[in-house]
Amino acid sequence: MALWGQSLWVLLSGPRGKRGAIWSWALSSCSSLIGLVSATGLVSHWTEVFKKRGIPEARESSEYIVAHVLGSKTFQSLKPVLWTQPLTPKQLQYIQELCSRRLQRMPVQYILGEWDFRGLSLKMVPPVFIPRPETEELVEWVLEEVAQRSYAVGAQDGPLILDVGCGSGAIALSLLSQLPKSQVIAVDKEEAAISLTHENAQRLQLQDRIRIIPLDVTLEGSWAHLLPWGPVDWMVSNPPYIFHKDMEQLAPEILSYEDPVALDGGKEGMDIIAHILTLAPKLLNASGSIFLEVDPRHPELVRSWLQSQPNLHLNLVAVRRDFCGRPRFLHIQKSSP
Amino acid sequence: MPSMSTWALFCLLGRVSRICTGPQGLQTRTLLSPGMAATVVQVAGRKDCPALLPLNENELEEQFVKGHGPGGQATNKTSNCVVLKHVPSGIVVKCHQTRSMDHNRKLARKILQEKVDVFYNGENSSVNKEKREAEKKKQARKKRAKETLEKKRLFKKLWESSKNITEKITDSESPKRFPE
Repeated sequence: MALWGQSLWVLLSGPRGKRGAIWSWALSSCSSLIGLVSATGLVSHWTEVFKKRGIPEARESSEYIVAHVLGSKTFQSLKPVLWTQPLTPKQLQYIQELCSRRLQRMPVQYILGEWDFRGLSLKMVPPVFIPRPETEELVEWVLEEVAQRSYAVGAQDGPLILDVGCGSGAIALSLLSQLPKSQVIAVDKEEAAISLTHENAQRLQLQDRIRIIPLDVTLEGSWAHLLPWGPVDWMVSNPPYIFHKDMEQLAPEILSYEDPVALDGGKEGMDIIAHILTLAPKLLNASGSIFLEVDPRHPELVRSWLQSQPNLHLNLVAVRRDFCGRPRFLHIQKSSP
Repeated sequence: MPSMSTWALFCLLGRVSRICTGPQGLQTRTLLSPGMAATVVQVAGRKDCPALLPLNENELEEQFVKGHGPGGQATNKTSNCVVLKHVPSGIVVKCHQTRSMDHNRKLARKILQEKVDVFYNGENSSVNKEKREAEKKKQARKKRAKETLEKKRLFKKLWESSKNITEKITDSESPKRFPE
């Protein structure tokens, strides 16, 4: 900072004595300092700092933080003219604050307080689970199936969808925004999730078509609370599906900041999945469907589990892979008894 | 004849794209049917321009950031850059425009579709056709503006000169003062 002040003084008071030398020195110091305090300079600087401290996604983290402070969602969509302009002291201060949180391994989404899901901007607050990119494809699948079903049956009033474990509201709200006639019941056992889903629904002006209900689907008889809204056409969920023994291997970003209850699926990651499938026949319409995001080991586990529960009359009809080629999504359908 | 079959294809696309509902103002990636494995990207806002030739998903290679870890809930990564290659032409596009992986994939397909169109159709590609259309319209507007300006000038001239004539007539009608 002293060097910065000195350079400014030289510039402001004009070149003296050996004109050429002092002038060019002042200019080059200033321009390299301006380089440091420009968007691109800061990204380089913080990338190096993060790398030295072993922070994963060093470059991406600094890009998102700097872009955010400059009012853009990504560094790539920042106007090129802003790349080299010097930032204000206030902006520099803000970047410093946000980057120090990243040094504490806070996930970028919590640092920014927001993230996008299928183009929708959602508020993010720890410890409510951060939507993953894979889950965008779960919603894509549901939308494809809904489109096929309504085309076949003829345009009707939108489907009624139940989102189990709504978290920030990502699945519920993206479905609502793409299906203008649909209604969604979103449930979660955590008050923080209920509250965040409410807030995101308001932000997106979708609150009229969503019912957000605190509910623990693993509790006996909890499903009865949903009966007043009638049978649902579709059930969608990204339930906690991590195998309990794998929990300790999760990155600090996840372990230290996200709610473990939103991740831990018990012994074989099947606990909540099993409860959802047990409830499904009571809550679903005839030939209603359940769409789940799961661990890649679950398709076979679910298949054998369903076979052991013939009274549920549920069939695993399809498995879909995620963008990494891992079996990630299940389509289970209710058949008539 | 190529143009005939292309037109037939556009008609087919037109019918299919109406079946698939999608949000207005956003490109929609829709699988035509499980058997076809072709991707139609309906480009929003270009009603008078026929749809671009569809990309065949089987001819695309998609890559995401390496080291995504176990994925799903077990991973929290923010890098969602998509690299999409059209194998037959070798064209590669990279997209990291949004914070949404899904959107980046769709955008990458849209950009790739346009590039592939230019690659195969050159002058006749939709992109270049649109550019020429836009240029034509611009020239037409300029011409009209010029003509309007000319008309205004002419009108003003006539107005001025008619004013002079009126004044002269008025003068002549007033009682002449004969020098006594």
